[in-house]
Amino acid sequence: MAAINPEFGKELKNYGAFDFNACYNCGNCTAVCSLSTEEDSFPREMVRFSVLGLEDDIRSSLKPWLCYYCGECSTHCPQEANPGELMMSLRRWLTTEYDWTKLSGLLYRSLPLTIIGFIIAAIGVLIFSALEKFNLQSIMHKGHIFEIIAIAAVFGFILLPNIIRMWWLIILKPKIKVPVIKYLTGFGDLIVHMFTQKRSLGCDDNQLRWFEHFIIVIGYLGLLFTTVFLDWFSNDSLFVIVLGYAMSIIIFIVTIDFMSDRIKKQKEMSKFSQPSDWMFVVWLFLMGLTAFIVRLFIDTGLIEKNIWLYLFHLTILVQWALIIVPFGKWTHFLYRSFAMYFAKIKS
Amino acid sequence: MNKKIGVYICHCGGNISDYVDVEKVKESIETDEGVFLAKTTMFACGDANQKEMVDDIKKNELDGVVVASCSPKLHLLTFRAVTERAGLNKYNYVHANIREQASWAHSDDKPGATETAIHLVKAAIAKVRLAEPLYPFIINSKKAVAVIGGGIAGLRAAIELADMGCPVTIIEREHFVGGRVAQWDVLFTTNETGKEVVTKLYNEVIRHDNIKLLTGAEVISNTGSIGDFTMKIKVTPRYIKEKCNEGHLLKAIAVCPVDVPDEFNFNITGRKAIYHNFPSEYPQTPVIDIKNCTRCGECEKICPSVDFSQKEEILEINVGSVLMATGFDSYTPADGEFGYNQFENVITLPQFKRIIDLNDKKLIFRGKEINKIAYIYCVGSRQIDGENKYCSRYCCTSVIYAAMQAKHKFNEINNYHFNRGIRTYGKQEVLYAESLKGGDIYLQSYEDAPPTVEQHNDKITIRINDILTAKKEMSVEADLVVLVTGMVPRADNSVASLFKLPKGRDKFFNEIHMKLRPVETVIDGITICGACQGPKNIMESVNSALSAAIKSFSYVSKGELELEPIIAKIDKDLCTWSGTCAEACPFDAIKMVKDEKKDVAAINNSVCKGCGMCLPVCPSNAINLIAYSDNEIESMIDALAG
Ligand SMILES: Cc1cc2nc3c(=O)[nH]c(=O)nc-3n(C[C@H](O)[C@H](O)[C@H](O)COP(=O)(O)OP(=O)(O)OC[C@H]3O[C@@H](n4cnc5c(N)ncnc54)[C@H](O)[C@@H]3O)c2cc1C
Ligand code: SF4
Ligand code: SF4
Repeated sequence: MAAINPEFGKELKNYGAFDFNACYNCGNCTAVCSLSTEEDSFPREMVRFSVLGLEDDIRSSLKPWLCYYCGECSTHCPQEANPGELMMSLRRWLTTEYDWTKLSGLLYRSLPLTIIGFIIAAIGVLIFSALEKFNLQSIMHKGHIFEIIAIAAVFGFILLPNIIRMWWLIILKPKIKVPVIKYLTGFGDLIVHMFTQKRSLGCDDNQLRWFEHFIIVIGYLGLLFTTVFLDWFSNDSLFVIVLGYAMSIIIFIVTIDFMSDRIKKQKEMSKFSQPSDWMFVVWLFLMGLTAFIVRLFIDTGLIEKNIWLYLFHLTILVQWALIIVPFGKWTHFLYRSFAMYFAKIKS
Repeated sequence: MNKKIGVYICHCGGNISDYVDVEKVKESIETDEGVFLAKTTMFACGDANQKEMVDDIKKNELDGVVVASCSPKLHLLTFRAVTERAGLNKYNYVHANIREQASWAHSDDKPGATETAIHLVKAAIAKVRLAEPLYPFIINSKKAVAVIGGGIAGLRAAIELADMGCPVTIIEREHFVGGRVAQWDVLFTTNETGKEVVTKLYNEVIRHDNIKLLTGAEVISNTGSIGDFTMKIKVTPRYIKEKCNEGHLLKAIAVCPVDVPDEFNFNITGRKAIYHNFPSEYPQTPVIDIKNCTRCGECEKICPSVDFSQKEEILEINVGSVLMATGFDSYTPADGEFGYNQFENVITLPQFKRIIDLNDKKLIFRGKEINKIAYIYCVGSRQIDGENKYCSRYCCTSVIYAAMQAKHKFNEINNYHFNRGIRTYGKQEVLYAESLKGGDIYLQSYEDAPPTVEQHNDKITIRINDILTAKKEMSVEADLVVLVTGMVPRADNSVASLFKLPKGRDKFFNEIHMKLRPVETVIDGITICGACQGPKNIMESVNSALSAAIKSFSYVSKGELELEPIIAKIDKDLCTWSGTCAEACPFDAIKMVKDEKKDVAAINNSVCKGCGMCLPVCPSNAINLIAYSDNEIESMIDALAG
């Protein structure tokens, strides 16, 4: 038996959802949702769970991740309860639930804390550069090493344990039996979803968005690969140089489109932007742009005189790697892929 | 005397002529005795045909008319009007229904349908041969109306009648007017208070010369009928002089040693034997509740306005029409129904409304602060096993509104609504939406699996299998459970039997036709309105009050009334007074009278409805129904059988 907890609804408002209480359970949202199925029907059920504060049921549910926020439900809701935005907020809330450090929860709930985090990262970069006596070569060299260590650490200490927590909440705690073989066979799905978000094609009229999303993932992973593993800034191979340019251009061009959507607020999914949404696109954009300019300056020999540019890029990178990736919206990418994986192996 | 009869046979565009050979019908009756002309017509009710009928009647001086067409329910009045326009008495018109009774009924057998139609028309002709002109009875009607019940409906109706120039007597059983509405603080959907609404009406009532207000008054007998009701009214005094010193009175109330449950507050508080209802009670003179007064005389010592010498009075009034507005009671849950009378903190919605009104800043009940409130809907309404099958209409909106009001007035209130589907129809829906947005939680069940209420160590838990959450079992711990009780008829509705008012299956007073005659009753001259007729909110009560006022006024406005002449008639020579007719009459229209040594039955023309129930029971066949005399009916039967 479940006890009702209206406080949960109030808590959820910190994550963006605001008027889901208006829901009168007509079910229009579920009926229009092109991803909802008979076995996995949403979003009305999630709205209902949220109104009643059935935290355990939400925590063990994968449904929030099955939604790609086309926003049809919000458009059709007669009560303007914004079920689409509620699903988004539940994803934010779930990421904080998976996070063992609980830092993401703090950052979601408090913009000042997030800003302080960003400032500390910037000051860190400055102090580090001062210690390196603003020597570009050694800063760039250590910057590159930092990237490698940061990726390994964030993954090893934060993301991996969080994925394990997610697994525990979704499979182990509800005592769902999954044969080992399924873990292996489902792996292909994980990879496919991670790179393609194939499921979002199920949303009506979503081809362009899917394509944008697809190339930005390619761009992002490509840039990560070129800078971290091919050491783009110090590599003289023409192929690598061009590849890096291409990847960074993809990133900042697509993110410009994402940002303009959020400003125009015409699509349902870009109507309500939380700080975490803005940070994600802006920092991605800045990463692409600054990486591009840094390499341009290297190629034109301007970088020595404009070391601030690299420091700016490094700051963006540190903030991205230490805040946005482990505790911010970046994790959605990871959790969603794993959600597909868990959904597959559960079934 | 041989009549000149005109017969019109209608095609009804094909509805009739597709199955009935109307030409053949015409041919087979046109030579019948008395038939002067016979015609077929595409649409008898069409303007052109109506005009032709008028011309025919005038030109040929017809003195009997038959139209064979659709059901008389549809066009009897139309063709009666045609004959009247042609200067012929309308009872010389007879209607034959050859559509519902012939063409539609026998569409599989055309010759049979035609045969039936011929017989029906012949029977109508037989009847019209014997028809006589009839004229309505004219009776005097006293231009005055009695309004029984001084609630919102009664007051509003009285003002309307008085405005139209009709003298009105309001007969209110309590010592204060306003009925239930006086008991509610703020009201949906206008946010006015009950007090404001009642004040407005009361001020108009007392300024009106045409209105006489009797409080503490009850009808104890009634004789007469439409146009002439004579009632005896018992008026209980207040035992307080009208002009009195307030200061003294308050002290007098303070010293009264009696403490009885206060019905105004639905017994959640007590009151003295000498009491006010609330600061704005109308009339603004307190009352001594003589039934509970011990006559200790304490109040008399302090306040010279107390006057035990006042006496009960019996008044007699005579009116042409009676308007009933006696309102409703709230359903009282059975012991143990959702914990009622079993657990302390289980109360009803009316009680909750009073508690909200009586508390300030904090919601305190039985010494404890209340934060979590559970509302259980449809208690006493929409019953599966019980008798109250109806929905009480007001309660969904009222409880949602009360819950919002509690949240607004007191801190930290959480509301949980255990409902069976919300019925905030019309504009009231806005309140539901507002309540949802405000965070009130709604849980729903079907009638066969209602929520349960349990108490363990001071904690009340309500459980439900919520159908909005796939019937998952949910529980709420609440500080207070409010049973959303519906409306039921007044427990003491004995006044209805004085007037022989019929009640519906729901036991509320019954109208003649829910849609078309919604405030008239089968007892001529008596109208009903407000919640005595069935659950209504204020707007609906006032709507019906205004229509009842107009309807009642229509009975008395001219000082006389025209009544249908088709009623029963006693042949005094044959009558030997067996009394069986009086027993059979559902309207109490037959009384025994003395007629030259013997007892005979007499019909009250203004009460008889011509239903004919008395005819077959008379052992001496002394009763005939005008226009349906034995002769007429027998001649019709002959025609049908011939
Ligand atoms: C808890 C609750 C809250 C409500 N809140 C609202 C609201 O916010 N808004 C709204 O629109 N409606 C509300 N209603 C409905 C409203 O109370 C009714 O619509 C209204 O009271 C009906 O008026 P009435 O005059 O027909 O009957 P009543 O108010 O019952 O008045 C009938 C009067 O007749 C008198 N009477 C009875 N029998 C006799 C007799 N034999 N002889 C003489 N007098 C007699 C009674 O003493 C009474 O004064 C509420 C109802 C309830 C129960
Ligand atoms: S469409 Fe809106 S009101 Fe209807 S169930 Fe979905 S969220 Fe609720
Ligand atoms: S109005 Fe609502 S609470 Fe009242 S009986 Fe009807 S459904 Fe039940």
